[in-house]
Amino acid sequence: MSAAAFSPSPALPAPAGAPRSVVVVGAGPAGLTAAVELAERDVRVTVLEARERVGGRTRGIEVAPGRWIDAGAAYLGDRHTELHALLAACDLKTAPTEMTGAARFALGADGGAAATVEGRFPPLNAVALGDLFEQLEELAATVRPDAPWLTPDAERLDALTAADWAERQLPHPDARLFFPLFLGEMMAADPAKVSVLHMAFYLRSGGGLRYLNAFAGGAQQDRVAGGAHRLSERLARRLLAAGGVLRTAEPVLSVEQSDGEVTVRTPEGSYRAEAAVVAVPPLLADAIEYRPGLPVRRAGARTGRGCAVKLHLVFPEPVWRAHGLSGWSVNAAGPLLSTVDDTPPEGSPGVLTGFVTGAEAHRFAALPPAEQRAAAVAQARRLFPLLPEPVAFHVTDWVNEPWSRGCYAALFGPGDWSALGPTLTAPHGRVRFAGTETSTAFFGLLEGAVRSGRRVAAELLGD
Amino acid sequence: MSLDTPAVPPATTAPPALSGPELLDSLTAVFRRVLELAEVPADGNFFLLGGDSLVATRVLSAVARTHGVELTFDEFLADPTPAGLAARVTAVAAAR
Repeated sequence: MSAAAFSPSPALPAPAGAPRSVVVVGAGPAGLTAAVELAERDVRVTVLEARERVGGRTRGIEVAPGRWIDAGAAYLGDRHTELHALLAACDLKTAPTEMTGAARFALGADGGAAATVEGRFPPLNAVALGDLFEQLEELAATVRPDAPWLTPDAERLDALTAADWAERQLPHPDARLFFPLFLGEMMAADPAKVSVLHMAFYLRSGGGLRYLNAFAGGAQQDRVAGGAHRLSERLARRLLAAGGVLRTAEPVLSVEQSDGEVTVRTPEGSYRAEAAVVAVPPLLADAIEYRPGLPVRRAGARTGRGCAVKLHLVFPEPVWRAHGLSGWSVNAAGPLLSTVDDTPPEGSPGVLTGFVTGAEAHRFAALPPAEQRAAAVAQARRLFPLLPEPVAFHVTDWVNEPWSRGCYAALFGPGDWSALGPTLTAPHGRVRFAGTETSTAFFGLLEGAVRSGRRVAAELLGD
Repeated sequence: MSLDTPAVPPATTAPPALSGPELLDSLTAVFRRVLELAEVPADGNFFLLGGDSLVATRVLSAVARTHGVELTFDEFLADPTPAGLAARVTAVAAAR
């Protein structure tokens, strides 16, 4: 379907076989994309959202009047075509990410002194890192991108963890040091908690190592002007304009099917429709009670939470730029395993975003707020010695967020792809599943979420 | 590479460096592979052809594996073309 087909123009009626009413569970980008496509084709749509806001794993923070930064998903690239089309159809613009100047790297064993290096290349043995990337690229190339569980040798790749793999395959200490930092950045994963198959799939699904890692020319080329959360806000507005209903603060408890209809229950009431779309992350989809029960669960015992805590240190100006620094850093010790300049396009206030990922995210999330702030500010000022005390400090703990249970995306542990993969997009009677984790293209990204919403709407409309 | 194969063997056990046109062909093939391009000229600049520092390390890994020469990232930056890299590999191999 073209972008033009998904514009707020007067709607075609839904085809005869389509359900006349649909309940959508989850008002993130996936659920709202599906909801709007259905509502604009004259389907009666009710969206139920557990939180008091829309947006799911996107959320905006207003750092100055009218200036927003992203506490959750933020970036997109040219290959994210469905997201670009949807943003355009919602009258939203993108702004390029900026990355000029030198990077800082604190990669010593003690996490101590930092080195200043032009570009983004860490001061480690280049041949050893190249060996790591050659092996990862080769692994990613073996994956069946549309059906990772059918990859040759899938059983073995799904049984091993990424940490097991690194232990066997990475003889050089620099590669061993960099690998968990890289995996943390790419997929917010602790290597001990994801299967090799999931790692290889994720890298392949996102467009390969270079594309996933790059800012200009890659998956971090642009941001949504005004914040990625605005996409869900605009979609919610379109849903209401098309006669849809959005009910927030209503967590779904159960989804029951009988006599040709679906009943979705929340603490506030029950909602009947001819079909339902469950568009929440796998761990949350699995926590809903289904009657009749699911033949295959939505998450396994080893399905993990994406381990990301996002920090924002706000300063009057991005002072690092005046000293020739980009704000980019990669560090062996936490909490700030990497930092990036997220100053709004207007140029102020200066925003340094810190990523606390992998195992470090769990440790940091357990600290009292005052200790979180003290540790993050002290490390930022070691990396960028001219920084003043921040005027604001924000912690967004996605790991323990009850209505996300992790971010960027669910982490498939050993055995998960073999068990869950074949039914990832399979309907359960009148219930269908969406969400970025149901998209084999751009899994875990905003683009995957939008694609999953469009897929499920197209299935229901019989397109 | 299967999971059971050992990691890249130490560079000293790699075959001796090729020379002249064979070396240039070999390095051009590495550029083509990692840049996913059908054609790369001998004077093609790696970064203008879409390469970045991450992909550059893959070239250095391939050079170490195939030609037994470990170059640094800065050495690659000095002349990031197949011809420039061939000259560097030849010079390092000759100095041993």
